[in-house]
Amino acid sequence: MTASARWPIAAWFCFILVCVVVVSRTQISTDLSAFLPRSPTASQQILVEQLRNGVVSRLILIGIEGDAPPSLAQTSKRLAAQLRAQKTFSSVNNGEDISAQADREFMWRNRYLLSPAVAPGHFSVTSLRAALEEDLQMLGSPAAILLQKVLPNDPTGELLRLIDQFVGQAKPRVEDGVWFSPDGKRAVLVAQTQAAGYDIDAQEEALARIRHAFMQASGTATAQKLLVSGPGVFSVHSRASIKDDAWRFSLIATSLVATLLLTLYRSPRVLALGLLPVASGALAGVAAVNIVFGSVHGITLGFGATLIGEGVDYAIYLFTQIAPNVTPRNTLARIWPTLRLGVLTSICGFSAMLLASFPGLAQLGLFSIVGLIVAVAVTRYVLPALLPIDFTVRAANTLAPAVNAAAQRAAVLRYPLIGLVVLAAAFIVMRESALQNDSLASLSPISMRDQALDADLRRAIGAPDVRHLVVVTAKDEQAALEASEKIGALLQRLSERKLLAGFESPAAAIPSVAMQRTRQTALPDEAVLREDLAQAQRGLPFRGGLFEPFIRDVAAAKMQSPLERNSLQGTGLALKVDSLLVERATGWAAMLPLRGVTDAPAIARELAELPHGEVVLLDLKRESDELYQTYRREIINYSLLGAFAIVVLLFMSLRAWRRVLGVLTPLLGAVIITWAIFTAAGSALSIFHLVGLLLVVAVGSNYALFFDRRTASVQERERTIISLLFANLSTVIGFGLLAFSQAPVLHGIGATVAIGAILSLIFSAILISGSHPEQVAV
Amino acid sequence: MQGLAEVKTAKGKFIERKYLAILTEPLQFSGTLVYTAPGHLEKYTVSPKPESLVLDQDKVTIESKATNQRRVLALQEYPPMWAFVESFRSTLAGDLATLKRFYRVRLEGNETQWQLELKPTEPNMQAIVTEIRIGGSRNQISSIEVTESQGNRSVMTITGDVQ
Repeated sequence: MTASARWPIAAWFCFILVCVVVVSRTQISTDLSAFLPRSPTASQQILVEQLRNGVVSRLILIGIEGDAPPSLAQTSKRLAAQLRAQKTFSSVNNGEDISAQADREFMWRNRYLLSPAVAPGHFSVTSLRAALEEDLQMLGSPAAILLQKVLPNDPTGELLRLIDQFVGQAKPRVEDGVWFSPDGKRAVLVAQTQAAGYDIDAQEEALARIRHAFMQASGTATAQKLLVSGPGVFSVHSRASIKDDAWRFSLIATSLVATLLLTLYRSPRVLALGLLPVASGALAGVAAVNIVFGSVHGITLGFGATLIGEGVDYAIYLFTQIAPNVTPRNTLARIWPTLRLGVLTSICGFSAMLLASFPGLAQLGLFSIVGLIVAVAVTRYVLPALLPIDFTVRAANTLAPAVNAAAQRAAVLRYPLIGLVVLAAAFIVMRESALQNDSLASLSPISMRDQALDADLRRAIGAPDVRHLVVVTAKDEQAALEASEKIGALLQRLSERKLLAGFESPAAAIPSVAMQRTRQTALPDEAVLREDLAQAQRGLPFRGGLFEPFIRDVAAAKMQSPLERNSLQGTGLALKVDSLLVERATGWAAMLPLRGVTDAPAIARELAELPHGEVVLLDLKRESDELYQTYRREIINYSLLGAFAIVVLLFMSLRAWRRVLGVLTPLLGAVIITWAIFTAAGSALSIFHLVGLLLVVAVGSNYALFFDRRTASVQERERTIISLLFANLSTVIGFGLLAFSQAPVLHGIGATVAIGAILSLIFSAILISGSHPEQVAV
Repeated sequence: MQGLAEVKTAKGKFIERKYLAILTEPLQFSGTLVYTAPGHLEKYTVSPKPESLVLDQDKVTIESKATNQRRVLALQEYPPMWAFVESFRSTLAGDLATLKRFYRVRLEGNETQWQLELKPTEPNMQAIVTEIRIGGSRNQISSIEVTESQGNRSVMTITGDVQ
């Protein structure tokens, strides 16, 4: 080894060492929100915060199926009892009256502070008389049984009014005393964990406890099956599958590609050399991501499989094209310009990902760019020094003539191919709507099946699809409650005008202290109430002294100290308030979900007139759709920019429009036909498929450029084609494996590029070979 | 029982008197009843205040014309009311099995004049209702008498025109 050869190797060695050090300190993250777009507006930030560590994120939905309803109900009761005994869960609801009872207790004990009817005039003689007459009417109905018990304490019907307020939402179906799904086949429960949703370890432990408790609760009924869903469940499953995917794909890719190269090179030593660029590139990529982003996402590592597929290409080109009796160095000098151009076009492709506002996508872009640059640098500067002087790849010599002959004959398909591409383009234009019907759900790394189960369980519980939400921010908890009350009054008026069916408010369960004091003031003094009641009662058949308990209760309520949030402890209402009244970094926020909205713009207009500043009406579906549209537009723009950059690059290198067009045509054809295949298969093209199409152009340009070069001899051409074939195979293996991943980002990009790459090679062979008699070698 | 089960629809006028411990005089209601087999019962109160009550499978809808209020109650959430409602619904439907689920049943008399004596089996219900007596002739119900705890009693007489 000459001296000049030594220093690149030494430099490379040091570089690898640095990378290893950085990588060993790397933290791997599996946070799903890295693949959700960053939310730009303040109110959406509230929601995302809530999704990550709010109460919504702590809910685990449980379903039990596979048996007759009575046995399912038994298991549900036993399971709930076991889980309630554990500290891991702050509440467990299965429809058993237990929490409903606590709720009713709370409402009963505090009815005069909670009821919105308590206002000046509510206890006037006329008002009392009307209430008493209504009571008499009710005593005639079957409800009399229930009414008789509470009548002496509550003749004005506050309890009933409060219960009405909290009803009106879809209630789960009750069978054998517990909640069931509407079709009666599944018993459903809701558990809330103490730990936040983003604490995946704690969520995993909670799930383990649920499974264990279920084993014990179902006992000998082995046919029964446990289903779980919820944000915590998704996080745990995704973490497991992301970790699995990353390892599995990289391992499979490496072994498949290694086998492929072994058959090509017939020498383990050369194989090891061939994997050097890839290994260096992967290390450098991970180190770069770690430096720039602070951690590496598991999905990025999964993407490493593609790097393996593409990074070996450069070594393949080099090794395979070394003719017998030519030094590696000379071969490199010959093919280097093409290699360089190929890398530059790939970088243009991956840059579109790098610039996107998805943090996760940016990681993938950076990883790939750095990895490819390092891989090609190692191929250029380090490998030639390490190869034996008389190296040649023998397999190329035997296979090459046959493959070359096939490639030559492929030119016959030229016109049929062009026709096919035109047809495909027309097909895509006709079915363009397929691309439009896409939503944020397509970006979710959660599988369709899990999403469907979640929707089923949610519907069974009766959790409303919250679409419209009023969000008000204030400086502290009381201010937020007071604002909610004012908004609530407005919404009540609007619901009478039928602009909406109803709404929920945290102030219904826990009124602001100011409101409670107002109500207390409206309660009459004992003496006044006694006199007014006596007057109202005149002529009605109620026994004298019947309402003494009522007078006592009102007097007590008048002097009661105000309710606070922890007065709700042990009730189901506490859960509701926790999800609707939250503390944030900069103050407090109250959320009022709306039901049955018929005229959202009108409601927004009325809300804007309120004196309180920070009120926003959110339409969640529209917001998320718009968000998705914004990001799709962005990706399309960057992709077009990337494609444009590629065209410019090609022109600068090839210097003839005809050649540029010649190189681009097969790539365009591959993109169109890949697009058509997906459209025909009925799968909507997501953002990730679009990115994949750009990568097809970037990756496919290597093949087209090699086909375009003039070659000095037939043998050289044969070796070129063989190297392309094997490079293509390794790329397809790398990306193709990703198509089996559950994560939409990997699945989308993997499937698109795998198909596109094969097509690029074939189309390049059909459209380019032999069509340029006069060329200057690049 | 079988005779009752065969009745598909029935219509009648009712007069209901309720003697409640908390009141000094009895309450009196009158109106019409409409029954459709197997579980649909409508009670239209005409006096003193117009009100309608519709029992359909497991839901009770009470609608008051005077206050323009409508309330829907799910029977499953109020077991005592459910048991009470079942007493005459099951009788109307001739459904002995369901009756036996909630009550101890005793039948007296003959086909032209019979009387069903129902005593609730569940403690929750027992605390509220002591006994229900349903009297009738052939396949028509003519009287329902409910004796509740705490000295409350209600008597309903029905004069029917069966279709």
